[in-house]
Amino acid sequence: MTDTSQQLTGQQALGQQGVGEPVPQRRAPIGDTPQRRAMLKRLKRRPSVKGSLIALFLIVVIGLTLPFFAPQNPYDLTSFSVMDNRLAPGSESFEGTRFLLGTDQQGRDMLSAIFYGLRVSLLVGLVSTGLALVIGVCVGLVAAVMGGRIEAMLMRLVDFILGFPTILVALVMLAMIGRGVDKVILAIVVVQWANYARIMRSAALSERRREYVEAAFNLGYGKPRVMFRHIMPNSLNAVLVVATVQIASAITLEATLSFLGVGVPVTQPSLGLLVASGFDYLMSGDYWISLYPGIALLVLIFSLNLVGDRLRTALDPKRS
Amino acid sequence: MKRLHLMAGTALVASLSAGVATAESLTIGLASEPTAVDPHYHDVAPNNALTRHIFSALGALDANQNVVPALAKSWTNEDDKTWVFNLRDDVTFSDGSKFDADDVIFTFCRQVNNESAVGATGKEVANMAAVEAVDPYTLKITTKEVEPLLPELLAQIMVLSEGITEHGDISFDLENQCGVTGAWPSVEDFNNGSAAIGTGPFVLKDFTKGSKISLARNENYFGTKPEWDEVTFVPVPSAGPRLAGLLSGDYDMIENPAARDIVQIEKNDGLEYTSASSNRVIFLQMDVGRDETPFVETEDGSNPLQDVRVRKAISMAIDRQAIVDRIMDGFAEPAYQFIPDGMFGAIENPAELEYNPEKAKELLAEAGYPDGFKLTFHATNDRYINDSQVAQAIAQFLTRVGIQTDLDAMTRSIFFSRRSGREFSFSMGGWGSSEGGAASFLRQYVTTGNPDLGIGGSNYGGWSDPAFDKVIIEAIQTIDEAKRTELLQQAEQMAVDEMGFIPIHFESSIWAFRKGLNYEGRKDQYTLADEITSDAAN
Repeated sequence: MTDTSQQLTGQQALGQQGVGEPVPQRRAPIGDTPQRRAMLKRLKRRPSVKGSLIALFLIVVIGLTLPFFAPQNPYDLTSFSVMDNRLAPGSESFEGTRFLLGTDQQGRDMLSAIFYGLRVSLLVGLVSTGLALVIGVCVGLVAAVMGGRIEAMLMRLVDFILGFPTILVALVMLAMIGRGVDKVILAIVVVQWANYARIMRSAALSERRREYVEAAFNLGYGKPRVMFRHIMPNSLNAVLVVATVQIASAITLEATLSFLGVGVPVTQPSLGLLVASGFDYLMSGDYWISLYPGIALLVLIFSLNLVGDRLRTALDPKRS
Repeated sequence: MKRLHLMAGTALVASLSAGVATAESLTIGLASEPTAVDPHYHDVAPNNALTRHIFSALGALDANQNVVPALAKSWTNEDDKTWVFNLRDDVTFSDGSKFDADDVIFTFCRQVNNESAVGATGKEVANMAAVEAVDPYTLKITTKEVEPLLPELLAQIMVLSEGITEHGDISFDLENQCGVTGAWPSVEDFNNGSAAIGTGPFVLKDFTKGSKISLARNENYFGTKPEWDEVTFVPVPSAGPRLAGLLSGDYDMIENPAARDIVQIEKNDGLEYTSASSNRVIFLQMDVGRDETPFVETEDGSNPLQDVRVRKAISMAIDRQAIVDRIMDGFAEPAYQFIPDGMFGAIENPAELEYNPEKAKELLAEAGYPDGFKLTFHATNDRYINDSQVAQAIAQFLTRVGIQTDLDAMTRSIFFSRRSGREFSFSMGGWGSSEGGAASFLRQYVTTGNPDLGIGGSNYGGWSDPAFDKVIIEAIQTIDEAKRTELLQQAEQMAVDEMGFIPIHFESSIWAFRKGLNYEGRKDQYTLADEITSDAAN
């Protein structure tokens, strides 16, 4: 009996962690609206979403408390040995360390490598999406409010960037600036901010014609204040929904770039790079180097997409 | 049980050999596609291997890279700069015309009139003061500088037929087009077959880029005729599909299956493989020429790589045998010098470069770096066999003795252009010594750069040892073979002692094929169909 109740509260806690759901007993936080509350209710009802939220929560926890969970630091070249390379899952090393998911061709413990890889993926996803969001929102707002030549210039720039295939631009950039997590983030920001700018502009344009905006202008407020205090909060919903899905696509992009050999340094493998290096060994039967990082990547992206998708449905004004 | 096994085995061999006897054609999966049939188009291994099927040269390099007679029966030195080549008088081209000295002179002229080529051709011809046909089958060549390697160099210049373009009397008169009146043949003329007229063991039937190359036996070949009526080369760059094609029987032989997939071939009763150590050495090149180097971090800003103790420590930190066993799956040999044993000028039984991390740490401390230093190591990730894995293992070994190593592995085009811009402090390269044995690597990499003599062109680390330079320059200008061997061995030993470059391993090439075929393998990594034999024919 006690167990079940604990489990329930645990799951509630997970739900709160995941989307910041307000606790019912407390006063509703600022910005809380009946629509938003209904949306969260709809979100919570889906078991698949619940599962995704739990998975995401676990990944975040693992990411934050890494050294505690991971048996080895896969980025420290002295902590493993090439003499232990390509051991099958469950084997033991000379010194008796057990490798639950086997080792890669450098003798790295796969489990640790996957944990660290998940952290890199999350970091890249969140930071690059965050930065792209900030840039995109600002550009979109400025374009919508300023209009005229500035708008034309900014939006042509957006069209220009969106006109190129994402991977191509990122590949070329990384080929020029070199490898590294920071550089991958930069490349992803460059290819993704334009999406947000376009959505933000269209949302802000429709808000701009509303009476409250006109009222604000008539009160004598300057453009920046109207932009950020009045228009932005009211047109942010659409952009935020896109952002949740874009986190997943940023992670996929990082994995793709690393798989193609231009992403993170080879001595600090991310999930994509682990899959790539194991890819060569599939014919030889050393499946674990590719398979397990692949599964980890799949779970992460699937969960993010599911949550993002449900969020979109829940926020759809036609349904509320 | 054992007998049953044996019987089954015999039956299998019998049925396979029966198959060979009926179909005398061979299909080979190539790891890397030749870009042209023109033998003077681009000096890279896949092209060279293909053109050696269709053309021959004055000499030929055997599987161990020793020069043997081919179109020339013999050659002698009249003096240091004058060579006389006695040509065979029984050779005809695939179009039926007779081969003589004029074809060789025409070939030399085409080397310098070769606009479609990639990179410069004709550096050997540039060193020729005069070439004269004493009679149709005697050729006299006078060089400007002493060039003891002339027979080796000429073994790489495939001889064309003068009949492929219009001409008057052929003579070595470079200013007047050597007597050629028509247009010089271009790479397209060779690729479409019209100029692909040679004296090699095969004739070209079809060259379709990206798809296949078909050859048929040259019935008039002057050497040992190949066993195969027809040979088809299919380029399959990815190792996986190449192996799959062999397993499914589409190919009779494939080049370089991935070493890690050898277990698949061993498990299969119908397949065999052969491996040969190649002449390609994988080595570390260090920036020793500059007092401050961009990718090394030390407390006092000095360049530790200039200290021979540090270089020795680096060598001692690396477990070459572990790299060979664990990364190369045994298909490589630890390198203790820059060319494999048995090649011209190699040190016989060189002293093993020991793996001793404890001593490496001591040496570092002695050199004033008890806590090591920081290093960024640059390598390719798509040029040599398992290159980025080898580089990672080296980074692992160096970090363990205190040299904190970051690895930056990049694609070859970026790596090579940055390396020639001397951007790196510490990088990994590879070099296959084709002609001249030890001289090839030493004169190209280890000698102080000297464009006038055409040496030291790849000395990107600024290595300079005057004592060494003296020996190597004397060696490459010495005609007497015994003396040159001695000088080259001395130079090789000096290079190894000073550790300006650190040898890691020699790559091995692998050929996998169906049972019943035999291929010895070659040091230059070429796949030559005329050297493939079948059990059925023997």
